[in-house]
Amino acid sequence: MEENEKKKAKTSLSRRGFLKGAGLTTAGTVMVNSGLLAFDGKFGPPKGESYGPDAVRVSMKVNGIIRDIICEPRTTLASALRDHMGLTGTKVVCDRGSCSACTVYLDGKPVNSCMTMAMDVGDQEVTTIEGISKNGELHPVQEAFIEHDASQCGYCTPGMIMSCVHLVENKKNPTLEDVKHATRGNLCRCGTYPHVFKATLDAAKKMK
Amino acid sequence: MNRFKWYEAKSVEDALEQVNSTVSNEVASRTGNAAVFKAGGTDLLDLMKEGLVEPKTIVHIGNIPGMREITADLDESVRIGANVTLAEIEEHAYIRDRYLALHQAVASAATPQLRNMATIGGNLAQRTRCWYFRSIDHKCLRKGGDTCFARRGENENHAIMNNGTCVSVHASSVSTALMAFDAEVIITDGKGEEKRVPMEEFFVSPGEDATTENILRANEIITGVYLPPVKDSRKSYYIKQGPRKSYDWSIADVAVVMEMQGSKCTEARVVLGAAAPTPLRSRPAERTLTGKQVSASVAVEAATAAMERARPLSQNAYKIPLFEAIIREAIMEIV
Amino acid sequence: MDKRKEIFPHGIPGHNLGEIEREIPNDEPPAWPINDKLKVVGKRIRRNDALAKVTGSAKYTSDIQLPGMLYAKMLRANVPHAKILSIDTSKAERHPGVRAVHVFTSDDEGSKYQDVKYAGQPLAGVAADSLDIAKEAVALIEVEYETMPFVIDTEEAMKEGAPLVYEEPIGEQTDGGDVGVTHDGSEGKGNLRGPTTSSFLGGARGDLDQGFSEADVILDRTYRTQVHTHVPLETHGVVIDWKPDQMTVYASTQSTKGVRDGLASYFDLPKNKVRVICEFMGGGFGAKHSAGTFGPMAAELSRKSGRPVWLMLDRKEEHIAEGNRPNSIHHLKIGAKKDGTLTAIQQKSHGTAGVALGAGVGRIAQGLYTCPNFSTEQYDVLTHAGPGAAWRAPGNVQGAYGLEQAIDEIADMLKTDPLVLREKIDPSEVRKVLRQRGAKSFGWKYRPPGSDTGRIKKGIGVAQSTWPRFVNLDSTVEVKMYSDGTVEVRSGVQDIGTGTKTILAQVVAEELGLKAEDITVRIGDTIFPDAPGSGGSIVTGAITPPARNAAYLVKQKLFNQVAPQLETEPSMLTVSDGMIMHKEDASKKISMRDALRRMRTGQIEASASRSDDYGGFQQPWGLAYGDLGSVQFAEVSVDTETGFVKVERITAAHSCGRPLNISQIESQVNGGVIQGVSYALYESRVMDNKTGHMMNANVDQYRMPYAKEIPDIDIVLVEEYSARSSTDAYGIGEPANIATAAAVANAVYNAIGVRLYEIPMTPASILKALNKVEQ
Repeated sequence: MEENEKKKAKTSLSRRGFLKGAGLTTAGTVMVNSGLLAFDGKFGPPKGESYGPDAVRVSMKVNGIIRDIICEPRTTLASALRDHMGLTGTKVVCDRGSCSACTVYLDGKPVNSCMTMAMDVGDQEVTTIEGISKNGELHPVQEAFIEHDASQCGYCTPGMIMSCVHLVENKKNPTLEDVKHATRGNLCRCGTYPHVFKATLDAAKKMK
Repeated sequence: MNRFKWYEAKSVEDALEQVNSTVSNEVASRTGNAAVFKAGGTDLLDLMKEGLVEPKTIVHIGNIPGMREITADLDESVRIGANVTLAEIEEHAYIRDRYLALHQAVASAATPQLRNMATIGGNLAQRTRCWYFRSIDHKCLRKGGDTCFARRGENENHAIMNNGTCVSVHASSVSTALMAFDAEVIITDGKGEEKRVPMEEFFVSPGEDATTENILRANEIITGVYLPPVKDSRKSYYIKQGPRKSYDWSIADVAVVMEMQGSKCTEARVVLGAAAPTPLRSRPAERTLTGKQVSASVAVEAATAAMERARPLSQNAYKIPLFEAIIREAIMEIV
Repeated sequence: MDKRKEIFPHGIPGHNLGEIEREIPNDEPPAWPINDKLKVVGKRIRRNDALAKVTGSAKYTSDIQLPGMLYAKMLRANVPHAKILSIDTSKAERHPGVRAVHVFTSDDEGSKYQDVKYAGQPLAGVAADSLDIAKEAVALIEVEYETMPFVIDTEEAMKEGAPLVYEEPIGEQTDGGDVGVTHDGSEGKGNLRGPTTSSFLGGARGDLDQGFSEADVILDRTYRTQVHTHVPLETHGVVIDWKPDQMTVYASTQSTKGVRDGLASYFDLPKNKVRVICEFMGGGFGAKHSAGTFGPMAAELSRKSGRPVWLMLDRKEEHIAEGNRPNSIHHLKIGAKKDGTLTAIQQKSHGTAGVALGAGVGRIAQGLYTCPNFSTEQYDVLTHAGPGAAWRAPGNVQGAYGLEQAIDEIADMLKTDPLVLREKIDPSEVRKVLRQRGAKSFGWKYRPPGSDTGRIKKGIGVAQSTWPRFVNLDSTVEVKMYSDGTVEVRSGVQDIGTGTKTILAQVVAEELGLKAEDITVRIGDTIFPDAPGSGGSIVTGAITPPARNAAYLVKQKLFNQVAPQLETEPSMLTVSDGMIMHKEDASKKISMRDALRRMRTGQIEASASRSDDYGGFQQPWGLAYGDLGSVQFAEVSVDTETGFVKVERITAAHSCGRPLNISQIESQVNGGVIQGVSYALYESRVMDNKTGHMMNANVDQYRMPYAKEIPDIDIVLVEEYSARSSTDAYGIGEPANIATAAAVANAVYNAIGVRLYEIPMTPASILKALNKVEQ
């Protein structure tokens, strides 16, 4: 049960709303995790707010920088990054969460930005391919991708690297099976997989 | 996607006040005035991008406090909040230890990315992947039309059982495992009242109503899933066959849960996924196993019994030997 | 042109390497030794655009954002066959945010619009402030159709009385067919066009009846392949900015020249008023040679709005309208003697490229093996489905799937190892070496079909292929050296992902005694010299000799200036590791950088094309002698209870002349093999015959292999020197993809002892073949 308690703490939410109405300068209300299911007769259920359908101001932290954009609620995170912030490293390929080319991290976890709305982000930190190299230094996975020729046309590469970096950052001594498991949602039509596997295993070794 | 208003719900009651339709109702009736729930959004956005539903308002329930927890009760039953992601269930050690088949089903669903987004509530409520249903160009039974295009069309992935009306199969392979553990869907209504619905009653067969796949109404929301306690003697196994191993929709999956006394099975659940329009308990297979010393030949008998009522369509008779193979294998993995 | 004689390496190292004398033009450089003795060429050199790719800074066409840019969407027909009575765009035009609307019209008399011939045919387009608005506006366009009967299934379309796709003969030729295997579409009856009966290898030969009468065994079989779509990760599309003085086109294309010429011709513009740019492109595999319909649409919308217009297709549009590899119903009758000698091959095929032509089965049966008696009839069947397009070795992949299984079957009939049979009938010297080295690396040990026991059965198979050495002489490269010692290479050629940009740097660096990273390569822009499209594995053989030749000329210019300073003749100078040196007197030297600094001009430059094949072309238009051979070995395991096939490993033995960049070649071979595995086991375009729609026009149900489907791939690369150009190098894009599906099919047969005759081999078809399905 101890494991379960830990899990409970981990999955509980405590999240500051990053959504603001267009033109408003006040930050969204703080969402406090009551730890109870929502119905608490004493205080009455809290009320939410609505946004849009016209453009609203959305703030999010992307690669360590707070970015403000004005967009309609129908804007996906992929579109927010690409069309509103010019971060075109994130690619949209299938537009349905089936190819993982659009992978970004929300609080360090890989998600499909094509199936995430900009409004979903809240105070979760977004990391894109542009944020993987730090202070001008490539991540070992990026180095290894260059060394092992792990991109051909390169269109799947940003998403592929996001999956592989997440693996090597979270698992020591990954095996080939681990790499396949981590990249099993990433489509590469040029068929560069064998070099992606080699590169990732090599990067993991160098990170020891 | 169409323009919509985003409502950031703060509580279940708040959310229920805002919604006026299920996604299913809106897909069939196309009022253009619907306010519907979104949690992870992986299915809703898919439907919206295809133009199958154009909600006026999206009621976002992803940040409602308390809905993203896995808790165990004193009786060791488990409650999984509706907003718990598939990744969180997969990583949960207690679930892996006690409810192996559920762990296996969750681990084999979708991609790592999607599992970080998709919630258990959304997984249960998702719509079928039948390509005619997913096509804007085919107004099929499930969309309020009067034709099942798959019946005489491309039906390789479709139902081999209970396929008298719509021949689609349910998309949730996680449900296959949940049903085998006698899980219940926790549903809260607009008055804040909670009910627990057994999985078998949660799903609706197309013969009753083809435009929906479950009993949810507009004023109801899934708030969680209840897993009854399991003893150490309860063993389980889950196998999914998708066309590809990396990730894919199931073409045949099975969950087997058996109460074992030594090698004797005293109680069994055999649930088939991608066999019928709903996840399907195979009572003939369960009867075959119950009270028997489980052996390879009993597994064969159970698998054969499970397929007795199969009535394949023009392109999917292969599913019968395929199901038989994985049912046998799942049973034998347990003993 | 003055010529001189040079000695070149010739043959296969470790096998028959020797020398040959060739007469070459005076302005082309002397022979390179074999790769062992070179410093940059033939090595594992990092891709010079890899940094941009791994950091996300590479700008693809889809990433282009220009000031004032509009987003466009096309309206596509949602019925497969219809006359269009009216198109009403008034609501779309009034929709807020819409800036331009354009409707495609017909030049034909009597109808304002072109008839709809497939579901997905583009009809109109809208440019708006955002893509969402453009989509909304497209939905507001009202089209009145008079629907007509249609036919999707190939065999249904062949029947008498089937709905006709074209009432009239069609003269147009698409790029779906094999190079040099064409007919013009005017012959034929009903939906049948053709047949094609000859190729550049010639037509029918010998006497079939005689051949079959001499045979001890005769095989008579039909092999079937599916239609599948290219699915480049970046869809087709353009960003077009049409200003009065110039149309600037950013295109996701494998032919900058093709797009320029296409748009210039469509709009009757001079070529120098159309500039096409493609710095990075996200895959094409043969489907991206032209401006398509989206090009003219974006141009019209840009002209009407006066703004740049972004028009990239979505995934569904890509699947239904931008190309596919046609299917094949491939009939082969082959006679053989007991000793394996082939006596006759009779080939007949039908296939559909939808509304287009080009559904043949190539030359592989005609040219792979020695056989005195041969004939072929290859028919196109028109159907109401999206047009086919070239895809890695067009026609020949279907052809090899049939032929290489037939050879396997004949080996079986003769109770011989299929590798031994090929040794007997294959005249190619390079494939002999590929077989030997490939078999050794694979560990080939033939075992009879179906001899493995147990639930999971393993099997092995082999298949071969050939691909010609096509060369496009319309290839020019410019090399500049600046006074600060830097070098720039310029060509209009695009890099489709094969690494063209990197090999240009390598050959220039090798020639100038520099490192590959010293060379800046600027490509993918029609302001640079013309280069061929990336198709037919043409580019390497076409563009690297001009690059080396231009570097050589620049070097000569530099030598001419440096020689007096070193008190010697230009001909006595050489370069190495950034130094210009006297060939015999080591004291006479100057660093390249210093030499350049002392030049009279700030830069020296030269551009060059390439001469004909040093040994003469087989066909004057640029067909070189020789073979880009491949022999691929596959091991599979088949679960006989679930019907699942896994390709465990592939050994791919290949030749491509002088290899230029080993890691890039391996990447391409990996890709060709994986696409072949996918063709054999997974992907297929699923059409609903009753409604005419593609049902899996997405990525989740259009099944392609991901990480866990990837076999272990072992690559055996054989160097083969033939002294045919200044680099003696060729591409490997097509050869890598031809043999795989047949090798996998042969291995599946070897595992289970039953042959399927149709791909993809799925659990459904495997279980059926194993008699486990009662239907």
